[in-house]
Amino acid sequence: MRLPFLRFLDIQRRVIGALLIREIHLRFGRRGIGFLWLPVEPLMFGIPVLLLWSIVRPKYDHGLSMMDLTVTGYLPILLFRHVSGTMIGFIRGSTEVLYHRQVTLFDIFVARTLLEFLGNMMALVLTFTFFYGLGEINFPANFPLFCLGYFYMLWWAMAVGLIVGSLAERSVLIEKIWPVYSYTYMFFSGFFFLADWLPPKIREVALYQPSFQSYEMIRGGMFGNTIKTYGDPAYTTFVLAILLTIGLWALRDARMHVEVES
Amino acid sequence: MLRVMGVCKDYKTERGEFRRVLSDINFELARGEKIALLGKNGAGKSTLIRLLGGVEFPSEGRIELNMTMSWPVGFGGAVLPMLTGNDNIRFIARIYSKPLGEVRDFVEDFAQLGHYLSEPVRTYSTGMRARLNFALSLAIDFDCYLIDEVLAVGDQRFQQRSHEELFEKRAGRSMILSSHIAETIKSYCTRALVLHRGRGKVFDDVDLALDIYNAV
Repeated sequence: MRLPFLRFLDIQRRVIGALLIREIHLRFGRRGIGFLWLPVEPLMFGIPVLLLWSIVRPKYDHGLSMMDLTVTGYLPILLFRHVSGTMIGFIRGSTEVLYHRQVTLFDIFVARTLLEFLGNMMALVLTFTFFYGLGEINFPANFPLFCLGYFYMLWWAMAVGLIVGSLAERSVLIEKIWPVYSYTYMFFSGFFFLADWLPPKIREVALYQPSFQSYEMIRGGMFGNTIKTYGDPAYTTFVLAILLTIGLWALRDARMHVEVES
Repeated sequence: MLRVMGVCKDYKTERGEFRRVLSDINFELARGEKIALLGKNGAGKSTLIRLLGGVEFPSEGRIELNMTMSWPVGFGGAVLPMLTGNDNIRFIARIYSKPLGEVRDFVEDFAQLGHYLSEPVRTYSTGMRARLNFALSLAIDFDCYLIDEVLAVGDQRFQQRSHEELFEKRAGRSMILSSHIAETIKSYCTRALVLHRGRGKVFDDVDLALDIYNAV
Protein backbone atom coordinates (compact mmCIF):
# COMPACT_ATOMS: atom_id res chain seq x y z
CA MET A 1 0.00 0.00 0.00
CA ARG A 2 1.48 3.28 -1.04
CA LEU A 3 1.21 6.48 0.92
CA PRO A 4 -1.71 8.68 -0.16
CA PHE A 5 0.63 11.60 -0.75
CA LEU A 6 2.84 9.59 -3.12
CA ARG A 7 -0.27 8.45 -4.95
CA PHE A 8 -1.40 12.06 -5.23
CA LEU A 9 1.99 13.04 -6.66
CA ASP A 10 1.85 10.18 -9.14
CA ILE A 11 -1.60 11.28 -10.34
CA GLN A 12 -0.51 14.92 -10.70
CA ARG A 13 2.56 13.81 -12.64
CA ARG A 14 0.38 11.83 -15.04
CA VAL A 15 -2.11 14.66 -15.36
CA ILE A 16 0.58 17.23 -16.13
CA GLY A 17 2.16 14.85 -18.65
CA ALA A 18 -1.19 14.32 -20.39
CA LEU A 19 -1.91 18.06 -20.40
CA LEU A 20 1.50 18.76 -21.87
CA ILE A 21 0.81 16.37 -24.74
CA ARG A 22 -2.64 17.93 -25.23
CA GLU A 23 -1.11 21.40 -25.32
CA ILE A 24 1.45 20.32 -27.92
CA HIS A 25 -1.26 18.73 -30.07
CA LEU A 26 -3.42 21.84 -29.82
CA ARG A 27 -0.67 24.23 -30.75
CA PHE A 28 1.38 22.36 -33.28
CA GLY A 29 -0.95 19.68 -34.59
CA ARG A 30 -0.05 16.04 -34.86
CA ARG A 31 1.93 16.10 -38.07
CA GLY A 32 5.35 17.48 -38.92
CA ILE A 33 7.98 18.47 -36.41
CA GLY A 34 5.50 19.01 -33.55
CA PHE A 35 7.00 20.49 -30.43
CA LEU A 36 10.24 21.34 -32.27
CA TRP A 37 8.26 24.40 -33.40
CA LEU A 38 8.60 25.70 -29.86
CA PRO A 39 11.85 27.69 -30.26
CA VAL A 40 11.05 28.69 -33.83
CA GLU A 41 8.92 31.69 -32.90
CA PRO A 42 11.50 33.34 -30.62
CA LEU A 43 14.24 32.50 -33.11
CA MET A 44 12.49 33.83 -36.19
CA PHE A 45 12.08 37.16 -34.52
CA GLY A 46 15.27 37.17 -32.49
CA ILE A 47 18.04 36.13 -34.85
CA PRO A 48 17.28 38.69 -37.62
CA VAL A 49 16.93 41.53 -35.10
CA LEU A 50 20.13 40.58 -33.33
CA LEU A 51 21.98 40.18 -36.63
CA LEU A 52 20.81 43.59 -37.74
CA TRP A 53 21.89 45.16 -34.46
CA SER A 54 25.29 43.52 -34.64
CA ILE A 55 25.76 45.39 -37.92
CA VAL A 56 24.17 48.79 -37.32
CA ARG A 57 24.84 49.42 -33.63
CA PRO A 58 28.17 50.29 -32.02
CA LYS A 59 30.02 47.25 -30.76
CA TYR A 60 30.27 48.57 -27.21
CA ASP A 61 27.88 50.20 -24.80
CA HIS A 62 29.33 51.63 -21.56
CA GLY A 63 32.39 49.55 -22.36
CA LEU A 64 30.42 46.30 -22.53
CA SER A 65 29.85 44.15 -25.59
CA MET A 66 26.56 45.30 -27.14
CA MET A 67 25.74 41.78 -28.35
CA ASP A 68 26.33 40.24 -24.92
CA LEU A 69 23.97 42.84 -23.45
CA THR A 70 21.28 42.36 -26.06
CA VAL A 71 21.21 38.56 -26.03
CA THR A 72 21.03 38.52 -22.22
CA GLY A 73 18.26 41.13 -22.40
CA TYR A 74 16.16 39.74 -25.19
CA LEU A 75 15.73 36.09 -24.19
CA PRO A 76 14.69 36.71 -20.55
CA ILE A 77 12.07 39.27 -21.61
CA LEU A 78 10.68 36.73 -24.08
CA LEU A 79 10.48 34.19 -21.29
CA PHE A 80 8.54 36.71 -19.21
CA ARG A 81 6.16 37.64 -22.01
CA HIS A 82 5.49 34.06 -23.06
CA VAL A 83 5.05 32.55 -19.59
CA SER A 84 2.85 35.38 -18.30
CA GLY A 85 0.98 35.78 -21.61
CA THR A 86 0.04 32.11 -21.83
CA MET A 87 -2.08 32.59 -18.72
CA ILE A 88 -4.43 35.15 -20.27
CA GLY A 89 -7.70 33.38 -21.00
CA PHE A 90 -6.23 30.03 -19.99
CA ILE A 91 -9.13 29.12 -17.68
CA ARG A 92 -11.80 29.74 -20.28
CA GLY A 93 -9.79 27.77 -22.80
CA SER A 94 -9.48 24.77 -20.52
CA THR A 95 -12.95 24.13 -19.14
CA GLU A 96 -13.36 20.79 -20.87
CA VAL A 97 -10.42 19.26 -18.99
CA LEU A 98 -11.90 20.47 -15.69
CA TYR A 99 -14.64 17.85 -16.18
CA HIS A 100 -12.06 15.46 -14.77
CA ARG A 101 -11.78 15.93 -11.04
CA GLN A 102 -8.08 15.21 -10.75
CA VAL A 103 -7.20 17.98 -13.20
CA THR A 104 -6.57 21.24 -11.36
CA LEU A 105 -5.99 24.70 -12.75
CA PHE A 106 -2.56 24.44 -11.16
CA ASP A 107 -1.78 21.41 -13.36
CA ILE A 108 -2.75 23.33 -16.48
CA PHE A 109 -0.63 26.25 -15.32
CA VAL A 110 2.38 23.99 -14.72
CA ALA A 111 1.99 22.29 -18.10
CA ARG A 112 1.80 25.59 -19.97
CA THR A 113 4.69 27.12 -18.06
CA LEU A 114 6.84 24.05 -18.69
CA LEU A 115 6.12 24.23 -22.39
CA GLU A 116 7.00 27.93 -22.64
CA PHE A 117 10.08 27.44 -20.52
CA LEU A 118 11.21 24.54 -22.69
CA GLY A 119 10.76 26.65 -25.83
CA ASN A 120 12.75 29.48 -24.32
CA MET A 121 15.56 27.16 -23.21
CA MET A 122 15.78 25.71 -26.70
CA ALA A 123 15.89 29.24 -28.15
CA LEU A 124 18.53 30.23 -25.60
CA VAL A 125 20.80 27.31 -26.47
CA LEU A 126 20.34 27.82 -30.22
CA THR A 127 20.92 31.59 -30.05
CA PHE A 128 24.03 31.21 -27.94
CA THR A 129 25.38 28.49 -30.20
CA PHE A 130 24.66 30.55 -33.33
CA PHE A 131 26.26 33.81 -32.18
CA TYR A 132 29.05 32.10 -30.30
CA GLY A 133 29.84 30.28 -33.52
CA LEU A 134 29.95 33.63 -35.33
CA GLY A 135 32.26 34.96 -32.62
CA GLU A 136 29.74 37.67 -31.73
CA ILE A 137 29.16 36.78 -28.07
CA ASN A 138 30.99 35.33 -25.09
CA PHE A 139 30.08 32.48 -22.79
CA PRO A 140 28.77 33.61 -19.34
CA ALA A 141 31.70 34.26 -17.00
CA ASN A 142 29.73 33.15 -13.92
CA PHE A 143 27.35 30.52 -15.20
CA PRO A 144 25.62 29.65 -11.86
CA LEU A 145 24.76 33.31 -11.27
CA PHE A 146 23.47 33.58 -14.83
CA CYS A 147 21.16 30.58 -14.18
CA LEU A 148 19.99 32.02 -10.87
CA GLY A 149 18.99 35.27 -12.56
CA TYR A 150 17.14 33.33 -15.25
CA PHE A 151 15.38 31.28 -12.59
CA TYR A 152 14.14 34.46 -10.89
CA MET A 153 12.82 35.73 -14.23
CA LEU A 154 10.83 32.51 -14.62
CA TRP A 155 9.51 32.81 -11.08
CA TRP A 156 8.52 36.45 -11.64
CA ALA A 157 6.74 35.53 -14.88
CA MET A 158 4.85 32.71 -13.15
CA ALA A 159 3.71 34.94 -10.29
CA VAL A 160 2.60 37.74 -12.62
CA GLY A 161 0.95 35.24 -14.98
CA LEU A 162 -1.08 33.71 -12.15
CA ILE A 163 -2.27 37.05 -10.85
CA VAL A 164 -3.04 38.62 -14.22
CA GLY A 165 -4.49 35.38 -15.63
CA SER A 166 -6.86 35.01 -12.68
CA LEU A 167 -7.92 38.65 -12.84
CA ALA A 168 -8.44 38.46 -16.60
CA GLU A 169 -11.11 35.82 -15.99
CA ARG A 170 -13.10 38.48 -14.19
CA SER A 171 -12.36 41.49 -16.32
CA VAL A 172 -12.18 41.81 -20.08
CA LEU A 173 -10.36 45.11 -19.60
CA ILE A 174 -7.31 43.39 -18.11
CA GLU A 175 -7.36 40.84 -20.88
CA LYS A 176 -7.22 43.61 -23.50
CA ILE A 177 -4.73 45.86 -21.72
CA TRP A 178 -2.23 43.19 -20.78
CA PRO A 179 -0.63 42.55 -24.22
CA VAL A 180 -0.03 46.29 -24.63
CA TYR A 181 1.33 46.62 -21.14
CA SER A 182 3.56 43.57 -21.40
CA TYR A 183 5.14 45.21 -24.46
CA THR A 184 5.78 48.62 -22.89
CA TYR A 185 6.91 46.85 -19.75
CA MET A 186 10.02 45.89 -21.70
CA PHE A 187 11.39 49.40 -21.13
CA PHE A 188 11.01 49.15 -17.35
CA SER A 189 12.10 45.55 -17.05
CA GLY A 190 15.85 46.14 -16.98
CA PHE A 191 16.41 44.92 -20.55
CA PHE A 192 18.19 48.09 -21.61
CA PHE A 193 19.97 49.22 -18.45
CA LEU A 194 22.33 48.08 -15.79
CA ALA A 195 21.62 49.45 -12.32
CA ASP A 196 25.14 50.84 -12.28
CA TRP A 197 24.32 53.20 -15.18
CA LEU A 198 21.40 54.80 -13.35
CA PRO A 199 21.59 57.78 -10.98
CA PRO A 200 21.61 56.47 -7.36
CA LYS A 201 18.10 57.78 -6.58
CA ILE A 202 16.51 56.07 -9.58
CA ARG A 203 18.58 52.96 -9.06
CA GLU A 204 17.18 52.56 -5.59
CA VAL A 205 13.61 52.62 -6.89
CA ALA A 206 14.35 50.42 -9.91
CA LEU A 207 15.84 47.71 -7.71
CA TYR A 208 12.50 47.14 -6.00
CA GLN A 209 11.37 45.64 -9.26
CA PRO A 210 11.95 41.84 -9.33
CA SER A 211 12.81 41.65 -13.02
CA PHE A 212 15.43 44.37 -12.55
CA GLN A 213 16.96 42.18 -9.85
CA SER A 214 16.85 39.20 -12.14
CA TYR A 215 18.56 41.15 -14.94
CA GLU A 216 21.27 42.31 -12.54
CA MET A 217 22.07 38.67 -11.76
CA ILE A 218 21.90 37.57 -15.39
CA ARG A 219 24.27 40.38 -16.39
CA GLY A 220 26.50 39.71 -13.38
CA GLY A 221 26.63 36.10 -14.57
CA MET A 222 27.38 37.13 -18.13
CA PHE A 223 30.14 39.67 -17.47
CA GLY A 224 31.53 38.36 -14.17
CA ASN A 225 33.62 40.64 -12.04
CA THR A 226 34.27 43.17 -14.82
CA ILE A 227 31.05 45.04 -13.87
CA LYS A 228 29.36 46.12 -10.68
CA THR A 229 25.88 44.61 -10.19
CA TYR A 230 23.30 45.04 -7.47
CA GLY A 231 21.35 41.74 -7.52
CA ASP A 232 19.99 40.72 -4.11
CA PRO A 233 18.77 37.07 -4.06
CA ALA A 234 17.38 37.34 -0.51
CA TYR A 235 15.17 40.32 -1.36
CA THR A 236 14.07 38.81 -4.68
CA THR A 237 13.18 35.46 -3.10
CA PHE A 238 11.17 37.23 -0.43
CA VAL A 239 9.16 39.38 -2.83
CA LEU A 240 8.57 36.60 -5.33
CA ALA A 241 7.44 34.20 -2.62
CA ILE A 242 4.78 36.71 -1.58
CA LEU A 243 3.70 37.36 -5.16
CA LEU A 244 3.49 33.65 -5.95
CA THR A 245 1.36 33.09 -2.85
CA ILE A 246 -1.00 35.85 -3.96
CA GLY A 247 -1.07 34.31 -7.44
CA LEU A 248 -1.94 30.85 -6.15
CA TRP A 249 -4.65 32.30 -3.97
CA ALA A 250 -6.07 34.21 -6.95
CA LEU A 251 -6.04 31.00 -8.99
CA ARG A 252 -7.91 29.13 -6.28
CA ASP A 253 -10.47 31.91 -6.14
CA ALA A 254 -10.85 31.83 -9.92
CA ARG A 255 -11.45 28.06 -9.79
CA MET A 256 -14.35 28.53 -7.39
CA HIS A 257 -15.98 30.82 -9.94
CA VAL A 258 -15.37 28.83 -13.10
CA GLU A 259 -18.45 28.55 -15.30
CA VAL A 260 -18.44 25.94 -18.02
CA GLU A 261 -20.63 25.67 -21.06
CA SER A 262 -22.90 22.72 -21.45
CA MET B 1 -22.05 7.70 -0.18
CA LEU B 2 -22.94 11.06 -1.65
CA ARG B 3 -24.30 13.78 0.60
CA VAL B 4 -25.63 17.05 -0.77
CA MET B 5 -26.21 19.57 2.00
CA GLY B 6 -27.91 22.92 1.56
CA VAL B 7 -26.41 23.50 -1.87
CA CYS B 8 -27.08 26.84 -3.57
CA LYS B 9 -25.67 28.25 -6.77
CA ASP B 10 -25.66 31.87 -7.88
CA TYR B 11 -24.57 33.20 -11.22
CA LYS B 12 -23.71 36.74 -12.03
CA THR B 13 -25.94 38.18 -14.73
CA GLU B 14 -24.82 40.54 -17.48
CA ARG B 15 -26.18 43.42 -15.41
CA GLY B 16 -23.91 42.48 -12.52
CA GLU B 17 -26.65 41.13 -10.25
CA PHE B 18 -26.65 37.68 -8.75
CA ARG B 19 -29.31 35.24 -9.77
CA ARG B 20 -29.98 32.15 -7.66
CA VAL B 21 -30.24 29.13 -9.94
CA LEU B 22 -30.26 26.46 -7.24
CA SER B 23 -31.57 27.00 -3.76
CA ASP B 24 -31.08 24.75 -0.73
CA ILE B 25 -30.79 21.35 -2.40
CA ASN B 26 -30.51 18.39 -0.01
CA PHE B 27 -30.28 14.68 -0.71
CA GLU B 28 -28.23 11.57 -0.04
CA LEU B 29 -27.29 8.69 -2.24
CA ALA B 30 -26.01 5.42 -0.84
CA ARG B 31 -23.76 3.02 -2.70
CA GLY B 32 -25.76 1.05 -5.25
CA GLU B 33 -28.73 3.38 -5.13
CA LYS B 34 -30.16 4.92 -8.28
CA ILE B 35 -31.86 8.27 -8.22
CA ALA B 36 -33.61 10.09 -11.06
CA LEU B 37 -33.19 13.80 -11.68
CA LEU B 38 -36.34 15.38 -13.06
CA GLY B 39 -36.80 18.97 -14.11
CA LYS B 40 -38.06 21.03 -17.00
CA ASN B 41 -35.79 23.37 -18.94
CA GLY B 42 -34.46 26.06 -16.66
CA ALA B 43 -35.24 24.17 -13.48
CA GLY B 44 -31.55 23.98 -12.58
CA LYS B 45 -30.91 20.40 -13.68
CA SER B 46 -27.80 21.09 -15.75
CA THR B 47 -26.38 23.29 -13.00
CA LEU B 48 -26.87 20.58 -10.39
CA ILE B 49 -25.20 18.07 -12.71
CA ARG B 50 -22.18 20.35 -13.10
CA LEU B 51 -21.91 20.75 -9.33
CA LEU B 52 -22.24 17.01 -8.72
CA GLY B 53 -19.65 16.33 -11.40
CA GLY B 54 -17.22 18.66 -9.62
CA VAL B 55 -16.84 20.95 -12.64
CA GLU B 56 -18.27 23.93 -10.80
CA PHE B 57 -18.56 24.64 -7.10
CA PRO B 58 -21.60 25.53 -5.00
CA SER B 59 -21.96 29.14 -3.84
CA GLU B 60 -23.28 27.86 -0.51
CA GLY B 61 -23.59 24.44 1.08
CA ARG B 62 -21.47 21.34 0.66
CA ILE B 63 -21.20 18.19 -1.39
CA GLU B 64 -19.54 15.25 0.35
CA LEU B 65 -18.44 12.32 -1.68
CA ASN B 66 -16.62 9.18 -0.67
CA MET B 67 -16.95 7.08 -3.77
CA THR B 68 -15.66 7.71 -7.25
CA MET B 69 -18.12 9.68 -9.35
CA SER B 70 -18.00 9.92 -13.12
CA TRP B 71 -17.87 13.17 -14.98
CA PRO B 72 -21.31 14.22 -16.29
CA VAL B 73 -21.77 11.74 -19.12
CA GLY B 74 -23.65 13.74 -21.71
CA PHE B 75 -23.40 15.33 -25.11
CA GLY B 76 -20.75 17.91 -24.34
CA GLY B 77 -17.79 18.37 -22.03
CA ALA B 78 -15.26 15.79 -20.86
CA VAL B 79 -14.03 14.91 -24.34
CA LEU B 80 -11.60 17.36 -25.89
CA PRO B 81 -12.99 18.55 -29.22
CA MET B 82 -9.70 19.58 -30.82
CA LEU B 83 -8.07 16.21 -30.24
CA THR B 84 -8.80 13.01 -32.14
CA GLY B 85 -10.83 10.17 -30.63
CA ASN B 86 -7.64 8.17 -30.14
CA ASP B 87 -5.89 11.09 -28.45
CA ASN B 88 -8.87 11.42 -26.15
CA ILE B 89 -8.60 7.74 -25.28
CA ARG B 90 -4.92 8.22 -24.50
CA PHE B 91 -5.58 11.37 -22.47
CA ILE B 92 -8.29 9.76 -20.34
CA ALA B 93 -6.33 6.53 -19.82
CA ARG B 94 -3.35 8.55 -18.63
CA ILE B 95 -5.12 10.84 -16.20
CA TYR B 96 -7.19 8.01 -14.70
CA SER B 97 -4.16 5.69 -14.50
CA LYS B 98 -5.76 2.93 -16.60
CA PRO B 99 -3.90 0.62 -18.99
CA LEU B 100 -4.21 2.19 -22.44
CA GLY B 101 -4.81 -1.14 -24.19
CA GLU B 102 -7.84 -1.96 -22.07
CA VAL B 103 -9.44 1.45 -22.48
CA ARG B 104 -8.81 1.47 -26.22
CA ASP B 105 -10.20 -2.04 -26.76
CA PHE B 106 -13.31 -1.24 -24.81
CA VAL B 107 -13.98 2.09 -26.51
CA GLU B 108 -13.32 0.70 -30.00
CA ASP B 109 -15.71 -2.13 -29.36
CA PHE B 110 -18.39 -0.17 -27.54
CA ALA B 111 -18.56 3.21 -29.30
CA GLN B 112 -18.44 1.71 -32.82
CA LEU B 113 -16.74 4.78 -34.25
CA GLY B 114 -14.41 2.85 -36.58
CA HIS B 115 -11.97 5.02 -38.51
CA TYR B 116 -13.49 8.18 -37.00
CA LEU B 117 -11.36 7.56 -33.93
CA SER B 118 -8.42 8.99 -35.81
CA GLU B 119 -10.34 12.18 -36.67
CA PRO B 120 -10.71 15.23 -34.39
CA VAL B 121 -13.77 15.01 -32.13
CA ARG B 122 -14.98 18.42 -33.34
CA THR B 123 -15.86 16.75 -36.66
CA TYR B 124 -18.17 14.25 -34.92
CA SER B 125 -21.94 14.50 -34.80
CA THR B 126 -23.45 15.05 -31.34
CA GLY B 127 -24.50 11.41 -31.24
CA MET B 128 -20.97 10.22 -32.03
CA ARG B 129 -19.54 12.51 -29.36
CA ALA B 130 -21.99 11.18 -26.81
CA ARG B 131 -21.07 7.60 -27.73
CA LEU B 132 -17.38 8.32 -27.23
CA ASN B 133 -18.07 10.11 -23.95
CA PHE B 134 -20.23 7.25 -22.71
CA ALA B 135 -17.73 4.58 -23.79
CA LEU B 136 -14.86 6.38 -22.04
CA SER B 137 -16.78 6.66 -18.78
CA LEU B 138 -17.61 2.96 -18.85
CA ALA B 139 -13.98 2.09 -19.59
CA ILE B 140 -12.85 3.96 -16.48
CA ASP B 141 -15.37 2.21 -14.25
CA PHE B 142 -16.76 4.51 -11.55
CA ASP B 143 -18.68 3.74 -8.35
CA CYS B 144 -21.32 6.26 -9.30
CA TYR B 145 -22.44 7.33 -12.76
CA LEU B 146 -23.80 10.75 -13.55
CA ILE B 147 -25.83 10.26 -16.70
CA ASP B 148 -27.16 13.30 -18.53
CA GLU B 149 -29.72 12.30 -21.19
CA VAL B 150 -27.17 10.18 -22.96
CA LEU B 151 -29.10 6.90 -22.78
CA ALA B 152 -31.22 7.77 -25.78
CA VAL B 153 -28.35 8.00 -28.28
CA GLY B 154 -27.36 5.48 -30.90
CA ASP B 155 -29.25 2.78 -32.69
CA GLN B 156 -31.12 -0.13 -31.17
CA ARG B 157 -27.99 -2.28 -30.94
CA PHE B 158 -26.06 0.45 -29.14
CA GLN B 159 -28.92 1.00 -26.73
CA GLN B 160 -29.03 -2.73 -26.02
CA ARG B 161 -25.31 -2.71 -25.21
CA SER B 162 -25.58 0.42 -23.06
CA HIS B 163 -28.30 -1.27 -21.08
CA GLU B 164 -26.13 -4.37 -20.57
CA GLU B 165 -23.05 -2.47 -19.55
CA LEU B 166 -24.74 -0.01 -17.25
CA PHE B 167 -27.61 -1.88 -15.65
CA GLU B 168 -26.58 -5.53 -15.85
CA LYS B 169 -22.79 -5.65 -15.54
CA ARG B 170 -22.73 -2.63 -13.22
CA ALA B 171 -25.98 -3.33 -11.38
CA GLY B 172 -24.38 -2.61 -8.00
CA ARG B 173 -23.22 0.90 -8.89
CA SER B 174 -24.88 4.11 -7.86
CA MET B 175 -26.42 6.29 -10.47
CA ILE B 176 -27.81 9.76 -10.89
CA LEU B 177 -29.93 9.59 -13.97
CA SER B 178 -31.28 12.57 -15.80
CA SER B 179 -33.65 11.45 -18.51
CA HIS B 180 -36.89 12.59 -20.06
CA ILE B 181 -37.94 9.04 -20.81
CA ALA B 182 -40.35 7.92 -18.10
CA GLU B 183 -39.90 4.23 -18.91
CA THR B 184 -36.15 4.33 -18.24
CA ILE B 185 -36.66 6.09 -14.93
CA LYS B 186 -39.42 3.78 -13.77
CA SER B 187 -37.44 0.66 -14.53
CA TYR B 188 -34.18 1.64 -12.82
CA CYS B 189 -34.61 4.34 -10.21
CA THR B 190 -35.95 3.86 -6.71
CA ARG B 191 -36.15 7.55 -5.88
CA ALA B 192 -36.40 10.82 -7.75
CA LEU B 193 -35.32 14.39 -7.15
CA VAL B 194 -37.75 16.79 -8.77
CA LEU B 195 -36.37 20.24 -9.49
CA HIS B 196 -38.59 23.22 -10.06
CA ARG B 197 -37.34 26.79 -10.32
CA GLY B 198 -34.14 25.97 -8.49
CA ARG B 199 -35.79 24.18 -5.59
CA GLY B 200 -35.69 20.44 -5.14
CA LYS B 201 -37.69 17.73 -3.42
CA VAL B 202 -36.89 14.03 -3.12
CA PHE B 203 -39.66 11.48 -3.66
CA ASP B 204 -39.43 7.84 -2.64
CA ASP B 205 -42.27 7.06 -5.01
CA VAL B 206 -40.99 7.44 -8.57
CA ASP B 207 -44.46 7.30 -10.14
CA LEU B 208 -45.63 10.13 -7.95
CA ALA B 209 -42.50 12.11 -8.81
CA LEU B 210 -43.16 11.64 -12.51
CA ASP B 211 -46.77 12.78 -12.08
CA ILE B 212 -45.67 15.91 -10.27
CA TYR B 213 -42.93 16.56 -12.83
CA ASN B 214 -45.50 16.31 -15.61
CA ALA B 215 -47.97 18.50 -13.76
CA VAL B 216 -45.71 21.51 -13.07
